[in-house]
Amino acid sequence: MSEPGKVSAGRLLPLAISARNGGIFMAGLLALIGLVFAWQASLLDFGGFDLPGPGFFPLVLGVVVFAFSILIAVEGFRGEGDGETVELGHRDVLIVLAALAAVAALFEPLGAYLSLGLFGAVLLVVLARVSVPLAIVSACIAMAACWYFFQVLLGLELPIGPF
Amino acid sequence: MTGFDQLVGGFAVALSWKGLLYCFIGCLWGTIVGVLPGLGPLAGMTLLLPLTFGLEPSIGIIMLTGIFYGAMYGGSTTSILVRIPGEAASVVTCIDGYEMAKQGRAGPALMISAVGSFIGGTVSILGLMFIAPPLAKVMIAIGPSVEVVLMLLALSVITLVSAGSRIKTALMVVLGLLLGSIGLDNLTGVARFTFGNTSLAGGLSFTALAIGLFGVSEILINLEKTETIKAITPKLRDLVPRWKDLRDSAPAVARGSIIGFIFGIIPGVSHVVSTFVSYAIEKKFSKHPEEFGKGAIAGVAGPETANNAVTGTAMIPLLALGIPSIPATAILLSALTIHGVQPGPLLLTDHPEVFWSLVASMYIGNIILLILNLPLVGIFVNLLRIPYAWLVPIILIISIIGVYSVNFTAADIWIMVISGAAGYVLRKFGYEMAPLLLALVLGDRLEASFRLALTMSGGNYATFADKASVIVLTSALAILLAVQALAWAFGYRKAIADEAESA
Repeated sequence: MSEPGKVSAGRLLPLAISARNGGIFMAGLLALIGLVFAWQASLLDFGGFDLPGPGFFPLVLGVVVFAFSILIAVEGFRGEGDGETVELGHRDVLIVLAALAAVAALFEPLGAYLSLGLFGAVLLVVLARVSVPLAIVSACIAMAACWYFFQVLLGLELPIGPF
Repeated sequence: MTGFDQLVGGFAVALSWKGLLYCFIGCLWGTIVGVLPGLGPLAGMTLLLPLTFGLEPSIGIIMLTGIFYGAMYGGSTTSILVRIPGEAASVVTCIDGYEMAKQGRAGPALMISAVGSFIGGTVSILGLMFIAPPLAKVMIAIGPSVEVVLMLLALSVITLVSAGSRIKTALMVVLGLLLGSIGLDNLTGVARFTFGNTSLAGGLSFTALAIGLFGVSEILINLEKTETIKAITPKLRDLVPRWKDLRDSAPAVARGSIIGFIFGIIPGVSHVVSTFVSYAIEKKFSKHPEEFGKGAIAGVAGPETANNAVTGTAMIPLLALGIPSIPATAILLSALTIHGVQPGPLLLTDHPEVFWSLVASMYIGNIILLILNLPLVGIFVNLLRIPYAWLVPIILIISIIGVYSVNFTAADIWIMVISGAAGYVLRKFGYEMAPLLLALVLGDRLEASFRLALTMSGGNYATFADKASVIVLTSALAILLAVQALAWAFGYRKAIADEAESA
């Protein structure tokens, strides 16, 4: 279990990328998003400049996203870079993202309480480093509290899965 | 019915047992999320958004607004006692607040911060009360072309006042507008970018995106930090300030109220910017500028007052124009829309009870916060002793349930996860999330008004430069230039950069 008063510290995976190169890559990715939107928008009715159709706005915006991203990429490319790095791939970050994706996939098939209970227990074991029995007990208490608060008090009908 | 009668009616709602209970819940939860690093007003409001679904709109909005200004109060507590800003607007309070705490003067710092917040908050509510109704009356008369001009102006201001790279902010604004176009076209009903997925027909869930971009990405970034939290907890009797403290902070509180009042109306990062500008102004006005950074009480009083003065005035563009100026008011806009109440010029005629009960509740909420924050400061600080690794699953579980319960579809959880991951990576590379969110919330209306204006004018673009538009543009440009000059003169960008460097 992590020490009280301390923010959980995870190990860093060796993924420290150059801020300059990463910035250019990010801008490239955003340019691609702009292009995809512009291409999809071009399949819609453009209308005219006087009376725009549903494709007008997204097409213009997609092109602007592309243009701004290219400008950022060029700016980054022309810059020298000062050796700054951006660290990505922290162990705890990856675990939380994977656990969140699992909840999104299992929320309806397994039910809210089981999927969220598992999610909570796994994060307690892996992030807070508590023992498995304590994590299970904590998750059960948390789910009972959630059921009472959301279902009984607020009347929210959450999926119950196969049970 | 006169404005006074409507205010009395508002107080009747706000002082009902339900109004008081939900105002208290909002203030308490707001203080808690303000204290906890990684949770700000935005995450706090989105997390409790589902709780408002079963309530009347007035009561729901009273609670959400309570969270907003409660978080502003709570954020200062950790800045002073732990040197950890609970939320962005409290960063500048760390500088002198923590120095005062180290010198054994945490009590006066907290007391002055709370009183300043109360005064700033009250001044801004008066502004909201007196400016919003006449402004709404003016806005009813305008057409879609002026609305387009106003929205474009709001988005341009966000880009101009941004603390980071302007081109990156501009990109986020355009990307937000683009993401806002996902779903059925408002005017023709044509599906755009839905790829046959019916859950996208209504567009991307704003709640899911907001929690993902702000809440989840903030948690992911905080997971990387290792900090030992050493809190200084003052006793109740130590809270009483000295005469000199009162004398030094009174003008700072007055100036902070004015600065926050002005900056609240400017879209973008207004509450954060107002604190930096206030700090810089206090330093310039001080007879002892060398004391700043070493525990000057004016360095706490000014920014804290400004930060809270923003809360009321930030409501003016939202309630009178239907344009949110900061992400927190975008959440309020979303909540009002879910309740079938459209913020904008017609709010005061169609739903005056919502507006006036909100105004009344803000007076009451400020008093609740003053009572809540000072005697219970020890309890709130102890929240920081809960290991962050324990808080993460709790916050995420509430977020997931909150996101799911808006549309009852797991697709929204996916949107939250994907936008959380995207927000994490984008923030690592210096992209701000607030402009994206504000643009997203305005995107639909901007496009609809733009196309409607052109249809009405027979495709004539001169409609965007008619007399009313020119007046709006010129006056807004004048205000913008004045604010820019003020911000640059006092170097808030440099202050933000310095603070980021020292953090």
